[in-house]
Amino acid sequence: MKYAFFPGCVSQGGAPELYPATRAVADRLGFELIEMEDVGCTGAGVLSREVSDPINARTFAKAEQLGLPIMTICSTCQGVMAQANHRLKDEEYRKQINQNFLIEEGLEYKGTTDVRHMLWAIVEDHGLDKLKEMVVRPLNGMPIAQFYGCYLKRPPELMVPKEFEKTRKTALEDVIEALGGKAVRSSGRGKCCGFPILTSNEENSLAMCGDHILDAKAKGAMAMVTPCPLCHLELDGKQADAAAHKGQEINVPILHLPQLVGLALGFSSKEMNLQRHLVSTAPVEDWISVEVKA
Amino acid sequence: MDVTFKIKRFDPDSEVKIEDREYTVNVDKNASLLDALIQVREEQDGTLAFRAGCRAGFCGDCTMNVNGKGAVTCRTPVSKGIKGAKDGPIELAPLKQVKIVKDLMYDADTFHWAKFKAVEPWVEMAASPKDAEHVMSNEVVQDLREAMSCTQCGLCDTGCTVIDVDKTFLGPAALTKAYRVVFDTRDNRTGDRLEKLSMKKGMWDCTHCFEASEHCPKYIEPTDRIFAMHDKAIKNEAGPPSVVNHYKSFAASVKSKGWLDEGRLAIETEGYTNVKGLLKLLPFAIKAGIKGKRPMPYIFHKKRPGAERIKRIFDKWEDNGK
Repeated sequence: MKYAFFPGCVSQGGAPELYPATRAVADRLGFELIEMEDVGCTGAGVLSREVSDPINARTFAKAEQLGLPIMTICSTCQGVMAQANHRLKDEEYRKQINQNFLIEEGLEYKGTTDVRHMLWAIVEDHGLDKLKEMVVRPLNGMPIAQFYGCYLKRPPELMVPKEFEKTRKTALEDVIEALGGKAVRSSGRGKCCGFPILTSNEENSLAMCGDHILDAKAKGAMAMVTPCPLCHLELDGKQADAAAHKGQEINVPILHLPQLVGLALGFSSKEMNLQRHLVSTAPVEDWISVEVKA
Repeated sequence: MDVTFKIKRFDPDSEVKIEDREYTVNVDKNASLLDALIQVREEQDGTLAFRAGCRAGFCGDCTMNVNGKGAVTCRTPVSKGIKGAKDGPIELAPLKQVKIVKDLMYDADTFHWAKFKAVEPWVEMAASPKDAEHVMSNEVVQDLREAMSCTQCGLCDTGCTVIDVDKTFLGPAALTKAYRVVFDTRDNRTGDRLEKLSMKKGMWDCTHCFEASEHCPKYIEPTDRIFAMHDKAIKNEAGPPSVVNHYKSFAASVKSKGWLDEGRLAIETEGYTNVKGLLKLLPFAIKAGIKGKRPMPYIFHKKRPGAERIKRIFDKWEDNGK
């Protein structure tokens, strides 16, 4: 499988452990990644669509030239790009964006680029059976709660359309189980982590963060896994503040999706950069510290 | 056909907790859940309290939790309720965010009207031009009509992740009502409205997670409307300083480097002269630094290849008057 790889800003910024873990795991899975370097930030739902749609159209046009689907590793990048791509299916709108912003660079987006999150690439392109076969360090039934990030779930007609319901509705749960873990369904798994309102209302943001992790913990989760680095910034980075806000200990390690896959595929915790997390990942490392199968 | 309900009961005058009660009624196969509920009240238990306004899908009054999910009961067939209940009775309970008056009857003032009132949902305009009318384009009218088709059923608020933790958040229903006047071209209070909507627990507390749009039974897309108000507010520089700084810094970073400089964003959101705010960042910055997280201060934050092209897109957008 070959993809135009869109790493996003956070995997090389606030969550720098994600980029190298993704690279290593993609390589092990046999994904060939052509990194898109000369493209811009998606706008992350912060920038006005009036300017982020042309920036994203430019990214799609470049992938189209490569003849490759785009692979993202961030629920927010995925959501914003999928929504922009949907708007750009409208021929009149696409024509207007091409004419106003892209033509002078010699680019034209024809509307054919597919944007796929790595989670979907693993489940739909690589396949869970093949993933299962590659596991050398099964997660030994480790109870792990999944946290999708809101942008990977909504709007449902774009993110989990009927034809992909089977593979996407429970994609994270299915990956956890394929790796030998036990998927714990927390009630906040498809909800917002709280990150977007950290600036405007820190109190509510921390309450959301704390509630999600505490619910997962109450249901027996030892760790959580997320395909969104922004959720990671909140659930890992702000976990101590959320614990103080809720007035109780939390201490639940939060893993990026590629890190969890990587551990099961035999990478060491150091190779997956777990030492860069703010919440200690020792419970995860202890749980899987068994001999790696030859 | 027979249908069985399990209904959550509550009586403020009762000193003991009232148990949930089950009722079975025989209804027409095309009956709505509300039809069946009215039948329960008329045939079996006159003390059962619930709201039922228009009974035709216009008023949103009869919204409640059906098998754990919010639904407008006059628009929901009994057959759908039975399907959702699997093999058990259809479970009815009030929506999670409401103040209950009795049984399924909620206090509409705290649920809707206080929040709606807070957004001052009436158009205020300058005197009409002499011998003329205030003219609105068809495009604007069509868009506002969609927003006006909201029946105040409150399902968007039910889905709201923020209301889960803070019932005083203005919420998507009232914000959709606000959109209706903010984008009314006859209204002459736009700037003032955007400032007011930036109140504590106002529009900037929305995470735009699209739960509201997913829950809206009328496809009004409350999330997109809140996005549009955010955009308009930023263009007007309306909003709390940290929020306006955040948006401006985000745009400046992408415009100059092609991608987001998170270190710069954190500092500029607080503001260079906001010593207290900047000091607040320190503990996290130190902790993250020790762990090897390193969003570089922006003098070291590299430009993306092609950043000039991204800047060009910004320039063109700005030249077009944003």
